Amino acid sequence: MKVVVFGMNHRTAPVEIRERFAVPEVGGVLRKLVDRPEIAEAVLISTCNRVELVVTTANPDAVQHVLLEFFARELAGETLPTRASLREMTYLHHGREAVEHVFRVASAVDSMVVGEPQILGQVKDAYRAAVEAASCGAVLSRLFQRAFATAKRVKNETGIAERPVSVARVAVLLAKQIFETLESKSALLVGAGDMIEAALVALDDHGLGSRRVVNRTPAHAEALARRFGGTAHGLDELDRLLPETDVVLACVGGSGPILTRERVETSLRRRQGRPLFLIDIGVPRNIDPGVHEIDNAYLYDLDDLQEVADSNEEERRREVRRAEQIIVEEREHFEGWLVALQAVPTIRDLTQRAETIRRGEVDRFAGRLALDDPRRELLEQMTRSIVNKLLHAPISRLRDETDREVGLIRLEEARVLFGLDALPAGRDEPPAPIELGEPSASLELGDDDPESVD
Amino acid sequence: MYEFQQIAAALYLAAGVGALLGLVLPAPRMLLGARLGLALGALFQAAAFATLHRLDPAPALTDLAQALSVATWLGVLFGLALLVRIRLPGFTPVLGLVAFLGAFGATLSSPGNEAAVGEGSGSIPHAHVLLSSAGLAALGLAGLAGLFFLLEHRSLKRRRKVAHRFPLPSLEGLDRVNRVALALGFALLTFGVATGVLWNEARSGTALSGGLHETWTVAAWMIYLGLFALRFLGRQGARQAAASALAGFAFLVFAVVGIGIVS
Repeated sequence: MKVVVFGMNHRTAPVEIRERFAVPEVGGVLRKLVDRPEIAEAVLISTCNRVELVVTTANPDAVQHVLLEFFARELAGETLPTRASLREMTYLHHGREAVEHVFRVASAVDSMVVGEPQILGQVKDAYRAAVEAASCGAVLSRLFQRAFATAKRVKNETGIAERPVSVARVAVLLAKQIFETLESKSALLVGAGDMIEAALVALDDHGLGSRRVVNRTPAHAEALARRFGGTAHGLDELDRLLPETDVVLACVGGSGPILTRERVETSLRRRQGRPLFLIDIGVPRNIDPGVHEIDNAYLYDLDDLQEVADSNEEERRREVRRAEQIIVEEREHFEGWLVALQAVPTIRDLTQRAETIRRGEVDRFAGRLALDDPRRELLEQMTRSIVNKLLHAPISRLRDETDREVGLIRLEEARVLFGLDALPAGRDEPPAPIELGEPSASLELGDDDPESVD
Repeated sequence: MYEFQQIAAALYLAAGVGALLGLVLPAPRMLLGARLGLALGALFQAAAFATLHRLDPAPALTDLAQALSVATWLGVLFGLALLVRIRLPGFTPVLGLVAFLGAFGATLSSPGNEAAVGEGSGSIPHAHVLLSSAGLAALGLAGLAGLFFLLEHRSLKRRRKVAHRFPLPSLEGLDRVNRVALALGFALLTFGVATGVLWNEARSGTALSGGLHETWTVAAWMIYLGLFALRFLGRQGARQAAASALAGFAFLVFAVVGIGIVS
């Protein structure tokens, strides 16, 4: 059984194409997909940046056509011009590439903004939907459980998600470098436009204390103050309000700086050494750049914030290399499990083959020797013991060779050596019960219980 | 006693190295384990002090290595309290490695200079050592908070990206630690100097014998008096306070330890 991923993402298809593949009801789509004989299990990951089908199949070569057709007919509803254009905008991974891809997606390594936190939740939702639609079996359950564990490791062991990459988040982080908490802090908003509102929302998420809005047009200040539970003031009150302020957020129209160095210096003297954080998102700038040179004043303008955000993004990308190492380790673990799982039918065939031969020979010799029941039972026991002892070593080896390359070679060799692919008689006989240890237990979805999703 | 002191030193070293690895890898559990190691080390060091009198000959608490060991122990306790209060992972390895040096140094000291305590001085020498060591530890903490403040301030002024591997607490938090540690440390140092004067008087009949240790320690105390006045009575800014806490501690360490080595 092979894992196959087929889909499109922000790198292969523009948003106007991706949005045509948005799936409102995932369950129905998944049921249709697993009804096809080529597909054993399926999970559909559908977000604003990607639409991907993760499936398991016994025939990965034939499945591309099936998935392409399914994409075109069931997801896009024939709204795309040609199959050729769809083929160009999609990708297909199978085997280890597919496993690594799923791990990469869950860990946000493949995201447009590397390390973004939303994707893991979206992948979990996709998995839950597949479990509810009964389209997810042992292999994909295991794959997604490992994907969640990988994402957790990547988050904890690398700095991929640590640094904020949006200007607003950078401003919040800087504020937290200056102040212990924002809850007791007072913000002064100079201006009442959309930019101020967006920045205020980000700061507000972290429980900003009181807020006062000053603006040339008092009506606008009042409207913003009302929405965010603050007080409105005129620009002439700036000097009175500044000494009581911890965070200044400025974005107001005008030709020159509203907050000059002298003005800020005067207010800082009355603040008794308490720091002041100033964010200037106005263009042209509203705060004199010289303010940053004052001891307890920390001024960041839009370019500074963007620079920090860009550098954080760069840092995140550097962390991807470490994340990739974790992904490869986890992929190897998963492949080990998969190989062990694939050993199950071979071991079953092998024991069945041996049992058929043993039974045939016992029947033949018991007849010739005219054995009574107790002696026949003795012969049965003896031959069974010989078969078990002979098979013990190869079965243990097959079970233990969980390295993907070697394990698969061993399985192939066993099938050829013991002639398991040309079983003549007894194939339809009920197989003797065999102990498979750990891997077969996973078939029962033991620790892959869908309810145990994080 | 030395076994306990050695175990404590080993635990501090393990905690310091573990915390460093925890930050570099990064492995949050190692950082947590390092804190536990520090706490265990502090317990063993406390046991070492409690059994100090059983040694034959018993080492004097007034021995410099022992006194520094006490200061280290108190520093670890202050540091652990600080770690509970504020987010400061980068502090754990520093604390672990400094504590190792303090505890290990005590195991190398030669016991038996009890005679230096002097007749009729009672518990004053021990009070002097305990109070001075506690003062040294608290002022060391103020100096460390000052150092971190300056690093954070520099990073913000240069508009450099935020260091996530070794995140420092907020400027406001560091300034508060600095303020509290300075107040506590100065009070303890004052009592330490006062008991030192009493001890000197009991031993030699004069309050100040004019020895290097006395002179430099009194000079350090006067410097801290100035810093205390500037901080709490004047209008010293947070950055200046951080820089002076760092410089003050450097001077104090020289007065207590360095002058003995130089002379």
